[in-house]
Amino acid sequence: MPRHVLGVESTAHTFSASVVSSKGEILSNVKSVYAAPAGSGIHPIEASKHHAREATHVIEAAMSESGIRPDQLDAVCYSMGPGLGPCLRVGAVVSRTLAGSLGKPLVPVNHAVGHIELGCLLTGTEDPVVLLVSGGHSMVVVCSLGRWRVIGESLDLTVGQLLDQFGRHSGLASPCGRAVEQAAAKSSNYLPLPYSVKGNDVSFSGLLTAAKTLCDQGASFEDVAFSIQETAFAMLVEVTERALAFTGKKEVMVVGGVAANRRLSQMMDDMAVRHGASAKGVPVQYSGDCGAQIAWTGLLAFRSGVRIPIEESSVRQSWRLDTVDVPWRN
Amino acid sequence: MEELRRSGTGLIYRGAEADLFKGKWHGLDAVRKVRKPMKYRIAALDSAIRRQRTVHEAQMLHLSKAAGVKAPFVYDVDPVGATITMEFLTGPRLEDAATAEGADYRGLFSALGGNVATLHAGGIVHGDLTTANVILSPGGMALIDFGLATRSEKVEDHAVDLRLIKETIAGAHSNISRGAVDALVEGYRGVRGGEATKRVLGQLANIERRGRYARVV
Repeated sequence: MPRHVLGVESTAHTFSASVVSSKGEILSNVKSVYAAPAGSGIHPIEASKHHAREATHVIEAAMSESGIRPDQLDAVCYSMGPGLGPCLRVGAVVSRTLAGSLGKPLVPVNHAVGHIELGCLLTGTEDPVVLLVSGGHSMVVVCSLGRWRVIGESLDLTVGQLLDQFGRHSGLASPCGRAVEQAAAKSSNYLPLPYSVKGNDVSFSGLLTAAKTLCDQGASFEDVAFSIQETAFAMLVEVTERALAFTGKKEVMVVGGVAANRRLSQMMDDMAVRHGASAKGVPVQYSGDCGAQIAWTGLLAFRSGVRIPIEESSVRQSWRLDTVDVPWRN
Repeated sequence: MEELRRSGTGLIYRGAEADLFKGKWHGLDAVRKVRKPMKYRIAALDSAIRRQRTVHEAQMLHLSKAAGVKAPFVYDVDPVGATITMEFLTGPRLEDAATAEGADYRGLFSALGGNVATLHAGGIVHGDLTTANVILSPGGMALIDFGLATRSEKVEDHAVDLRLIKETIAGAHSNISRGAVDALVEGYRGVRGGEATKRVLGQLANIERRGRYARVV
């Protein structure tokens, strides 16, 4: 008999709920995204108020769309971290309440592992080199001995922060990724920017400063957007290529909010071909934060016996993915 | 490259950023390292990076030998073709040697730690210290691929260098991870001494704390 779980995501700007089955079907995936005012980023308290307002409606919609009754659920899964404390707490409170009142087990999920496992499900990827790129992460990750291991990452900003802070500098509202991508598509005039690869790691802080300076000096936003994308993505593709060459794996997968960027996926394809590997991107509606990543990963964890007593079900703002056991991959 | 093909030799290794071809250079066994254009990078950025890294790598190979670490001799440099022709070193890579049945991986990683310490003491950071870039040649352990090497006396840069080996060990050699890292540090301390090693390890811990979500809150 297939199992069904509810997953609740609330790490940052997105409150989302999803029901998935153990057959890998996503029966619902309902989201509500907090919109930051123009020129500013996510205000954690404001975002958490948004989540608290939206929670009931999002969860009801996710349940009714799935056709699964609450008593048919096998577990309630929540994003325990990493993320913004006030936002995480809304999801945790809601999930605890549901699990307690329904008498169902509660399963904690690491948000980053969630991106990766949902990506593997949707792309049919088994043992990839993963590039996880979002507002919270810029990491190259592979699975080894029961954990996802970080073999390269940004030493300072994430690529999502880079694009957001660059966009906000020019008056856009977070998240700015799509607006920057659209502006970049209108230019092909490359302005030299610092390219910083240190072994398997990258650094974006100098790139951000240089890009802001170019804008302040009167360069067109389109040209700088094009140049920042070309530079930052080339750095990320280079470290992914290094991981691919080093591990000898044959699959590359890009997940996280920035995976929605078409230029990045095109560059990744160009790179993978050279190594006889295939590059897979997650469908856009699942690349950003969503309940399905929590529900599916929670289901894998649930089947491996992962549970958390309600009294221990706190949130973990800092919870690196390489500290999470993934017994379902042994 | 064409010349190498004509002499009946060819591609011996396809790395992430360059291809290696084996051939002869004035009668000597040689490796030609060619940084090929990367289709994913736009041409302006790509050619600048390849040219800069080629020239820089040749300089760093020379400086590393001067510092006392074994590395291939440079025979010829072609910046426009982004090609370095250098000495061909025989022997297994550390990544294979360390994981072979019954290998003395502690001894190997300790020796690597010693070599890295020698490099750092000479004010050079390798920048790409993976176990694929270490060759156990008959003349001793040699470091290759200085494409990301820089001159630096900074503790921060030395720590980043060590961090990369740790990442590589964790990712590719998880089964021997702890012992390998301990041996590496011992070898490093053996050359640089307790004080310098302590500073580098302290900075390494700081860097790891700076990592995303590494128990900051």
